[in-house]
Amino acid sequence: MSDKTENTAKSGFLPIETNWFDRLFISVVIWVALSLFWMRFIEPLGLSVWIAAAISVALGAHIIRKG
Amino acid sequence: MQSKKLGWLLLSPTLFILGLFGIFPFIYVVWVSFHEWNPFAANPEKLFNWAENYRKVVFDAQFLASLGVTLAFVFFAVVSEVVIGYLLAQAFMKNFPGKSFFRTIHTLPLIMAPIIVGSIWKLMTTPSIGIIPNLLDTWFGIDLNIGQSALAAFSITVIMDIWHWTPLVTLSLIAALVSLPSDPFEQAQIDGANKRQVFWHITLPMIRPALIATVFIRLMDAMRTVDEVLMLTGGGPGSATRYVGVHIYKEVFPRTNYGYGSAISVIVLYLSIVICWLLYVSLIAPRNKKG
Repeated sequence: MSDKTENTAKSGFLPIETNWFDRLFISVVIWVALSLFWMRFIEPLGLSVWIAAAISVALGAHIIRKG
Repeated sequence: MQSKKLGWLLLSPTLFILGLFGIFPFIYVVWVSFHEWNPFAANPEKLFNWAENYRKVVFDAQFLASLGVTLAFVFFAVVSEVVIGYLLAQAFMKNFPGKSFFRTIHTLPLIMAPIIVGSIWKLMTTPSIGIIPNLLDTWFGIDLNIGQSALAAFSITVIMDIWHWTPLVTLSLIAALVSLPSDPFEQAQIDGANKRQVFWHITLPMIRPALIATVFIRLMDAMRTVDEVLMLTGGGPGSATRYVGVHIYKEVFPRTNYGYGSAISVIVLYLSIVICWLLYVSLIAPRNKKG
């Protein structure tokens, strides 16, 4: 398993070497954090939490492809 | 191909048990966290309410306060346990009279159930009958009352956790220290390295994987402390020791607010994973060569 992980690990713009699962994990962590932050501070100003979801999906796709 | 099938067949009981007791309950809790569910209310049905529970969590001042005291508790408890555990492990690496006896005695708290630990510490810290307030009053004139002083209650819960879990850290670090090769230490001695240099440049880097694994275990454990604290202080005085585990317990059991309790549980799990992951990234993850 570790051999396979090392083989698929790559260096992108993230400061650590990652495989696709690491990058998916980072994307989900960012999605949850951004959604909670949005619900607490941005949503009361009238911007829907779906905007945070859209930003997270776009950011997640970028991280998975280029991270 | 045949051996691959056989491998999956041999793994299937483990995967089944892991799925049944690990993955299914987790998915169920996440699912419940998106519902309004009070099974003892007039309407006991689960009502899907999107992210309403999470929206409630981020504005819940009591939860945010409990998160703050939990992080303080985790920091003081885990750091103290690692430092004391390492010093004890180093002491147990040396030979001294009664070593086996002390090693057995120091491991005893580890085999006690947390609820028993909470009961013992409650007896020891109850004013007028407890030995700790009695001795503190006799020796130093300090009036320890964990039912009135928030700082005293917080400190006693930290000390109780250190007393209970330091042996785990000691045992893991003894295992790590015993497995170290002697060559680098002899080499360092020949080169004239002092004790501090040996610790920072040889011992610490070599026991780092064991140390980090122990910190992860203790960190996750400390984040979900409930029974000891519930027994000792009940989360008080006020909300001084209302750690997130206690907060979830009070939300789910007395108030039977299952959906909201599940949402808090998911957030605590998320925070535990993120903190451990950040520690992993900052300490042992392979660096990006381009960065």
